[in-house]
Amino acid sequence: MRQAITTDIAVVGAGPAGLAAATAARRSGATVLLIDAFAMAGGQYFMQPVSGVNTRAQVRAGNAAIRAAAAVGVKMLTGTEIFAAYPGFQLFGSGAQGAVAVNASAVIAATGAHDRVMAFPGWTLPGVMTAGAGQRLTKVNGVLPGRRVVIAGSGPFLWAVAQSLLDKGADIAALVEARHPSPSLVAHLAVFPERWLETVGLVAPVLREVKRVVFGRIVAEATGDGRLEQVAIADSDGTRAETLTGIDALLISYGFQPNLEITALLDCVHDFDDALGGWYAVVDGDTGRTSIPGLYASGEVTGIAGARPALLSGELAGLSAAAALGFATDSSDAKLATLRQRLARARRFGHGLGRLFVPLPELDRLARPDTILCRCEEITRAEVQAACGEGADNIYGMKIWTRAGMGRCQGRLCRMSLTACIARATGRSPRLVGFNHPRVPSRPVPVEQVLAAMQEVGAAVPGPAAKLR
Amino acid sequence: MDGCAFKLEIEDMGARLIVVGGGIVGVTIARELVRRGHEVLLLERDSLGAAVTGASLACIGTHMNSRSEIEILKWSCRAWSELDRALGGTMEYRNSGQIRFLKRAEDRKVAEDWIAFESAAGVPSELLEPAEVRKLEPLLTGPIEAATYATNAATVTPFLAVRAIAKDAVRRGIEMRLHTPVERLATRGGAVRGVVTAEGEITADAVILAAGPWTPRIAATAGLAVPIMPRKAQCLASVGVEPAIRSVIAACESTGGVAAGYTQIQQAPSGQILFNTVLAGGLSAEGAQDHVPEVDPVFVGNSIRQLLWLFPSLAGLELLRSWVRYEAVTPDDRFLVGATAVNGLYLAAGDGGSGFGRGPAIARVIADALEDRPPPFDASVWSPLRFARTQAA
Repeated sequence: MRQAITTDIAVVGAGPAGLAAATAARRSGATVLLIDAFAMAGGQYFMQPVSGVNTRAQVRAGNAAIRAAAAVGVKMLTGTEIFAAYPGFQLFGSGAQGAVAVNASAVIAATGAHDRVMAFPGWTLPGVMTAGAGQRLTKVNGVLPGRRVVIAGSGPFLWAVAQSLLDKGADIAALVEARHPSPSLVAHLAVFPERWLETVGLVAPVLREVKRVVFGRIVAEATGDGRLEQVAIADSDGTRAETLTGIDALLISYGFQPNLEITALLDCVHDFDDALGGWYAVVDGDTGRTSIPGLYASGEVTGIAGARPALLSGELAGLSAAAALGFATDSSDAKLATLRQRLARARRFGHGLGRLFVPLPELDRLARPDTILCRCEEITRAEVQAACGEGADNIYGMKIWTRAGMGRCQGRLCRMSLTACIARATGRSPRLVGFNHPRVPSRPVPVEQVLAAMQEVGAAVPGPAAKLR
Repeated sequence: MDGCAFKLEIEDMGARLIVVGGGIVGVTIARELVRRGHEVLLLERDSLGAAVTGASLACIGTHMNSRSEIEILKWSCRAWSELDRALGGTMEYRNSGQIRFLKRAEDRKVAEDWIAFESAAGVPSELLEPAEVRKLEPLLTGPIEAATYATNAATVTPFLAVRAIAKDAVRRGIEMRLHTPVERLATRGGAVRGVVTAEGEITADAVILAAGPWTPRIAATAGLAVPIMPRKAQCLASVGVEPAIRSVIAACESTGGVAAGYTQIQQAPSGQILFNTVLAGGLSAEGAQDHVPEVDPVFVGNSIRQLLWLFPSLAGLELLRSWVRYEAVTPDDRFLVGATAVNGLYLAAGDGGSGFGRGPAIARVIADALEDRPPPFDASVWSPLRFARTQAA
């Protein structure tokens, strides 16, 4: 089974940014294909439940955005992951609906982000998961990640996850935030009165219903016999403070890192900023244009900033992409200027939060010599440090030296831990340490599905035999 | 050796030598030179093995490879086995054997010619019928005509090999600088006497260029034209799976039109199945190696079709990764190894993607040339001077 689709604009990722981009581009008159890896559109922020009605405003807004996209004639292809992208543009995907080959004149990458994970002793125990995964379990399937849960890490997302779990009646033993509420946080919030209501709505129910909210502390270790039982909490310098017992789920997150698969496969310029989630796709702020003509990016892939900038940058990228293909926009210059101003302001808010909740610089020291940093290949911190001593001094060098990052996840999960460990051991900056460049396929795909997607290409042409390499 | 080539004046002290390029060829040369008592500086523009080497399938052997280099390949095969022992088995060196499948009855003649040639050279191979092939490779159930088999083929894991050899060279005293591109060669009185990097000039008695497709650009700064062009090569890798393929599986040379093309399939010790099939060849544009693209969809399709034609039961195998590399190719598809027309400048480049099989022999030729000794095999086929006329142009 294979679908071949030709479209003016292909939007990859159906979260807030992708939905806004697709709707705006379609309204301008372009044909638009919106593709998402998950069974339902929405992404992490606008995530929709498998069944039943969720009355939360965020879920309803997501539902409205999905219906709006469908109403204007955006073609939706969910449950389909794009595993290859080529200039021009040609995208190949696979999934529940079979293989797909897409020809598009422009591509908008709205691929979002995933949890940033820093390895610590016990992080691979069953029961320990990323906050994003725990929230997805709860929001999509209505399944709680555990009976007694600890949520830990840093940043506003912890509070959103706590709310999702509280909605389903979770027993949250503690929420542990690495940072203290600071005067600079108050000063930052003070500048954005339009976000006060939202902030109170995020924080108040959690403060009311979660038994313990701990500031200025981190999870130093997870322990248990075969699965998670205890969570050791420490001061930010690593000094042990207390141990929480009887815990069967630990949801941990130090913010997000952009999903770079599409932008990296299409090879636009990327840059590094810890406050923006590490590596991100560089775009023109007003239009979402990347360094590759016809390739646009919007939302978290351009640097973590939150859902509001995602919606606004998505709309602007959709309008820009359509206009560049010659479709008249129904947006006046004044409306565009307003959108841009609102986006710039929303980004200032999000980036400011990113800077205030930037991961603690000492976090990577929690891992012990025998703590695994690369889960797929089971590479420990000691092995990574030893390789640094022998000449491996960037992500690529580490990969060929130790196989770290060479496994199934292709370095997504270990990116933060490896980068920090290499940077510390070699004294090189995280930018120089680099990232594991995604290659085709961006996720493991059965070869028969790859072949199905690429079936029209690859006619047999006789050529020379050569020496074995 | 040519009269104007640089000769070391070796008394008790070694020479100061710079090796440019940290691929399999460069690190093997550096190790050989430091073993012989020279002072060696290894310069690599990126990470060790970051170009052709890390992207190689690292097959070592003599079968259906190159008639004119058969003695060199035999020597290299033995050297690899000795190197593996010397480095304590750290390279995942494996005597895997090699199978070359035939698609057509006409190709039996080609196979038989090779088998006769190799048997006379003392490295016997044999022709197997499909049933015999399946005893060696139970999953190879595709409709092949027959196959050749050579027991002496081996593989190493490329990045482990580079790492182990470099580590041993560093232990023996070489200096290694990564992320240090050579901007140009430093010359004095027409002779090469060092290199210039962003950090300044580094002097040496001689410079050995093992910089793969980047070699011509560096050699040109000393006025030497090197006839090397980049050629695109691609590979696919599956996720790790249970042992499924034991040997290196490749296509037999075919008479008149190569339906089988160039194929190589093997399973790494990690369990990953590595495979590729190239039906159309050809050189890439000059400078192509500076920007590595994604694998072609055409190549991906051909490679998977060929894999499933041979191994139909692997249809559900998950593809994990792909990569493109640019090999350095000479007009006759053989290495350039040894002294050049420029005093103090030595070449060890032009791999055609076959640097692993030849690495130890190349190191031997370079070290012997620097010390003005003959190598233990005839290496004239590699002489950089064979293109002297075009170089002069």
